[in-house]
Amino acid sequence: MMTLITELFLMPLVAFVIGLFMVLMMRKIGARLQRRVGPPFFQPLIDIIKFHSKETQISHGLIHDIGIIMAVGGYIAAETLLPVPGMDGIADKGGIIALTYFLMIPSLGLALGVGQCANPNGSIGISRALTAMLAYDIPFVIVIFGVSWHYGTTNLVEMVNYQQANGWGIVEMPILALAGLFTLQGIMGKQPFEIYVAPAEIATGPMVEMGGKYMGGLFIMQAFQFYTAGVLYTTLFLGGGENWPTFLMKIFIVVSIPIMIAYMFPRYRTEDMLRLMWKWPVIAGLIGLALVMH
Amino acid sequence: MTLLDGLILLALISVLVTMLGYRLPVIGWLTSALFAGQLLVLFLMSGLGYGGDTIHSSVALSIFGQPLSWRFDALSWFFALITIGAALASSLFAAGEWGRQYRQNGGNPGLLQFSLALNVLTMLILLASGDLLALFIGWELVSWASFLLMAMAGGAAFSWAMRYITYATGGAMAILAGMGMVYQMTGSLQYADLMAVAGQLSQAQVVILSLLFGSGFAIKMGVLPFHLWQAGAYAETPGPGTAFLGSISSRMGLYGILVVLVQLIGLGRLIEIDISFTWLSLRDLLMWVAAITIILPTFTALRQNDARRLLAWHGVGQGGYMLLGIFSATALGSSGGLMHVFNHATYQAALFLSVYAVVHRTGTADLNKLGGLVTRMPLSFLVMLVGIIGLAGIPPMNGFVSKWLVYRSLLIEGMPLLFVASVIGTLGTILSVYKLIHNMFLGQLRAEHSEIREAPWSMMLPMLVLSLIVFITGFMPGLALDWVAAAQAAVGLPVLQHSLGGVEMEQGGLDMTWLVAVLFAGFGIGALLFYSTGKTRHVNQLDNYAGGHFLTADVRYHYSDHFYAGLMHRIGHWYRESFQWLESVLISLTGFVAQGASGFYRIVQPALLMLVVVVLALWVVR
Amino acid sequence: MNMITLIVALPLLAAFLLPISDRALGSVSRFVGPIVLLMNIILIMTLWQKSEGAPFALALGGFRPPLGISFYVDQLALLFALLVSILALMLWPYKADTNPRVFGLMLLLTGAASGMALSGDLFNIYVFFELLSVASFGLVASLRTGAAFAATTRYLIISGFGTVMALTGVALIYTQTGTLNLAHLATLAPQQLDNATGLTAFALILLGIGVKAELFPVNTWVPEVYATASRRVSALMAGLVSKLAVLVIVRLMVLIFPQPEAMQLMLALGVAGVLIGELSAWRARDFVRMLSFSSIGQLGLVFVAFSIPGEAGILAGLAVALHHLLVKPALFLLAERWGGSLGRLEGAGRRSPLAAGLFVLFALSLVGVPPLPGFWAKLLTIVGLLGQAAPLYWFAAAVVLVATVAEVNYLFRFGLTLFKREEQSAQVHKPHARIDLGTVSVMGVVLLTAMFLIAPLGERMQTIADQTTDRGLYISTVLGPVGGAR
Repeated sequence: MMTLITELFLMPLVAFVIGLFMVLMMRKIGARLQRRVGPPFFQPLIDIIKFHSKETQISHGLIHDIGIIMAVGGYIAAETLLPVPGMDGIADKGGIIALTYFLMIPSLGLALGVGQCANPNGSIGISRALTAMLAYDIPFVIVIFGVSWHYGTTNLVEMVNYQQANGWGIVEMPILALAGLFTLQGIMGKQPFEIYVAPAEIATGPMVEMGGKYMGGLFIMQAFQFYTAGVLYTTLFLGGGENWPTFLMKIFIVVSIPIMIAYMFPRYRTEDMLRLMWKWPVIAGLIGLALVMH
Repeated sequence: MTLLDGLILLALISVLVTMLGYRLPVIGWLTSALFAGQLLVLFLMSGLGYGGDTIHSSVALSIFGQPLSWRFDALSWFFALITIGAALASSLFAAGEWGRQYRQNGGNPGLLQFSLALNVLTMLILLASGDLLALFIGWELVSWASFLLMAMAGGAAFSWAMRYITYATGGAMAILAGMGMVYQMTGSLQYADLMAVAGQLSQAQVVILSLLFGSGFAIKMGVLPFHLWQAGAYAETPGPGTAFLGSISSRMGLYGILVVLVQLIGLGRLIEIDISFTWLSLRDLLMWVAAITIILPTFTALRQNDARRLLAWHGVGQGGYMLLGIFSATALGSSGGLMHVFNHATYQAALFLSVYAVVHRTGTADLNKLGGLVTRMPLSFLVMLVGIIGLAGIPPMNGFVSKWLVYRSLLIEGMPLLFVASVIGTLGTILSVYKLIHNMFLGQLRAEHSEIREAPWSMMLPMLVLSLIVFITGFMPGLALDWVAAAQAAVGLPVLQHSLGGVEMEQGGLDMTWLVAVLFAGFGIGALLFYSTGKTRHVNQLDNYAGGHFLTADVRYHYSDHFYAGLMHRIGHWYRESFQWLESVLISLTGFVAQGASGFYRIVQPALLMLVVVVLALWVVR
Repeated sequence: MNMITLIVALPLLAAFLLPISDRALGSVSRFVGPIVLLMNIILIMTLWQKSEGAPFALALGGFRPPLGISFYVDQLALLFALLVSILALMLWPYKADTNPRVFGLMLLLTGAASGMALSGDLFNIYVFFELLSVASFGLVASLRTGAAFAATTRYLIISGFGTVMALTGVALIYTQTGTLNLAHLATLAPQQLDNATGLTAFALILLGIGVKAELFPVNTWVPEVYATASRRVSALMAGLVSKLAVLVIVRLMVLIFPQPEAMQLMLALGVAGVLIGELSAWRARDFVRMLSFSSIGQLGLVFVAFSIPGEAGILAGLAVALHHLLVKPALFLLAERWGGSLGRLEGAGRRSPLAAGLFVLFALSLVGVPPLPGFWAKLLTIVGLLGQAAPLYWFAAAVVLVATVAEVNYLFRFGLTLFKREEQSAQVHKPHARIDLGTVSVMGVVLLTAMFLIAPLGERMQTIADQTTDRGLYISTVLGPVGGAR
């Protein structure tokens, strides 16, 4: 019991730290691709501290605050559902379906918070974000179904065990893995699917009313988001974590792929994202599914 | 006199009291008290909810040689609990200030309470039916009682109620035909006799029986293609009536399906029957109908601009999950389907009531004429938030648990497309409920709403209690799953082994107590992080800018209309309204034939023809 | 047992004496009719009690059947004789300004109808049928408006040709068998009428008598006549006269023409009646016409129900017929004040809630909402129809069910119109006459009582159906055990 509680505290913490490194990695990759040096090592952490210690912290009401709390808190809780080497947390109590729906809580929180700000740009951003979710979740659930069917379980711990005994999922289900990678791009909100985040136009995008620690909360959320995406994909297809070094390598590689792709693409409109997401990954997912279930 | 007699007698007394005393100012409270009394009697039978013995009524009749009997088993109890609970909440909501305002606006709150009491009585009679004849009698009574509730408001409600009763009669007639067939096969209308021969029926007989009974009951649920009447008819019902209808009325159809298709004929028979030229069995076909019922109404809801319509369309869609779960015939799936009845009733009632709380204060449910109310009506917002999380099936509310059970069972059974279809429904729901809560409670507050107050406590109380139930049964689903398991046993479905937190399974179970506890711990840490750093300055909600300009209250900038413009750009042209078209074609066709028929009476003068017939006849027999 | 002749003789006598007595007694004569009817009711009740349900036959003029004129009195006949008197009493034209001639016609109609119910031979039936026709012509024209005369003329022509057909049918039977006594015919039918000639005769009689029974396709007179005649007369025609015609056809069918072809012919015509009647009613835009068409549809249902072979058919038919006999007159009486197009009736129910409530009650029963009596009638019909192997019966069941949907639609479209909130320029309607509303209320009470007493009523109807289908009993009762088939 004690170990479980320790794990429950440790897992989000580890996730946070790794997530920060991932953010750093993203910036570095971006910088290198653009022939810049990139930020220093502690820049992400400094950013968070800076955001939280701003003098002007404008709140548009209780729901604005609660939205950020839900966004961060939801991810904190979700991390305990993702098994990492040596720590399973409560992964066996939820499984992949519960995790998928858990990951909607932060988005919902953010949506509520932005809504409370009463800025039309924010609302438009949320409408796009939810549309994007509808876009990438359809291929994503196809992948989830295929994977769960293949492993015969929804329990992530069991999936990891299966892969460590029988070989990685990506070998046995390459097409599904490909579809999964495609949806990862959308889940992480990276180019070409980043219109709903609109990081480049904060003043008119969904984050228009987010300043100071509100922005800081979102920053933390992004760190968690990267980590979650990496670990989830690794757990589903790359054999999960046998030990920390290989595990870390896997998750960083997984996350770096979408990031690298992102810097090579411009932006799609929401409706184009729908078209794209409902076409190729869905087709790949269905073929993969057919192969898995045949 | 058994407890069942007592329950129905009390329901009858409630009807009589409301009928005679509908003018009393306290009639709302009185009715609520009577509903509470019924709930109490129900709890006296709570053994049933945990799998106790069937309770029989001491009333038994025999008409035209057909014995009629009434009884309560765990399934009836489960549905009765929801029925009376929903009625209590609705009646309480209407009892205080809402009723006074309704009277001032020319309505008759006493009549509303009477209709509620009548609906409950008829539903209890239906749920208690112990043979097919009693079932049909109960069914028709329920249909007409709902008709009364729907038509009460007058005006537009009339045409919707008319549409409803036309569909409902069609359904009832299908059931009557099915009963006639059963009578021919078994020589009686007793459950036991049908169950006994169900194994020997030919495939054709099973198909015809399932289609007749299935479509008959499905009409009440608004299953496609019989869904067109429901949203409008429910939305036009006066306030709490909508909440009652939306939460339980259409589930009576599910009860019928459970009794006839699941308990009497048995899903095993449906699984055996393959449909030619497809790889589907009859059961699979029904599951697909359920899946389409999830998707199409949900995406219709997405386009609604009236909060009541939006919710009512979701009510249609959520019925699909129940059917999908039950037709999966597994312990997991069917418990999900059954539990969803309970869950849906709780959050749907809460949602409708919170919408009506807003309507009570602002006078409109038009999603383009509201906004920003969270600062004025925070409790109503909370209730709606809990409700939409439940409706969308996101943890930690109860809607997630029942949907999880359905998903999990589809996963185990290996039905990927149905799984995807049901998730698409959930995603559509998330989109549409966000639009609901955003357009009503978030965003810009309209200047004319800047002074309104929270709904009075008489309305808040049922709303808060309902949302508490939504949360608690999400936190500890085992509470509701006990009843569900007893109901499963009563209709002969495999029984779900469950714990307080959900389901323990080797291959991936669910423990909501843990998940919810961790979630709230996460929120706690998040709050700690948030509030421990930096001091926030609260500004007026309207202190805003866009496009480089400061915004003021007299500028309308609430982003509400055509909320999902991007999505509609892609899928907008998929809305063909084919069913509307089909319905209107059917009506025109009937009109055309009818014109011919009545033309017969204008044109034909058969006298000479008659003479010709006589001559011909004589010539023939010569 | 000669009392039985009084049932027929009294009203006829009164009818012929009334014009004379009217001169002599003045307004007193208006009470003659009701008194006669009351006496009739008492007579029939005592008879029923005395006979204890056993049938008996009566030969008039001292000739033993098959030669003489004979009455056959069983429960079915008594029931209908009783209903004739009761209904006539309820629908009696009590209004002060009624032409005394109408009283005479009413009594004539009652006498003829009772005679038809009780007669045991075809010729008598034919005579009473003619008498009934004459009385009904007079009654429907009694409003003396141009439209009424035009409608009556149409009715007269169709009726006339119907009579020709029926007479031809009777003649055919006579040439085949040489007798018109029903019991005698029943013994001879299996040998001599189970052929094309017999069937033709049946078809001719069916169509001929069917004119009165609103049988498709010889019912084209119905909408016009009901729309133009006074409501009480319409009620009487739709409720009573049509049922007596059906009664005759059923008697013939049970005793003489039990061939499946005959039944299916009747079924087919009944189905067509249901379909065309209900659809036309669905399209009708005024209440009276809607009721007329609905009556055609309902009579179609009666024929459908009676065409189910065996006891089930008689039981179902009896249930449907009796139910319609109660409901349709009530609705016609309500139509007294609710004439004109539907649009003008908006909110009429709010001004006379009792009338509107009664309308809803009767409409619910008419469409067969349980536990009202109409439901049981419909249930018996559907179960009976689905019990038959022939596909035509299944088709009939489907048509009846679909027609019910249409019926619900038009009845409640009207019902809701009554409850509409009147917007502007409220149409002024006179409230229902107290006597009409009273009559309808009594009928409503009867309907509700029947709902509660459905179990014993069902048993009673079962015995009537048993007795009616028993050919052997009929033959032996009329001809005596020796000459009969036993």
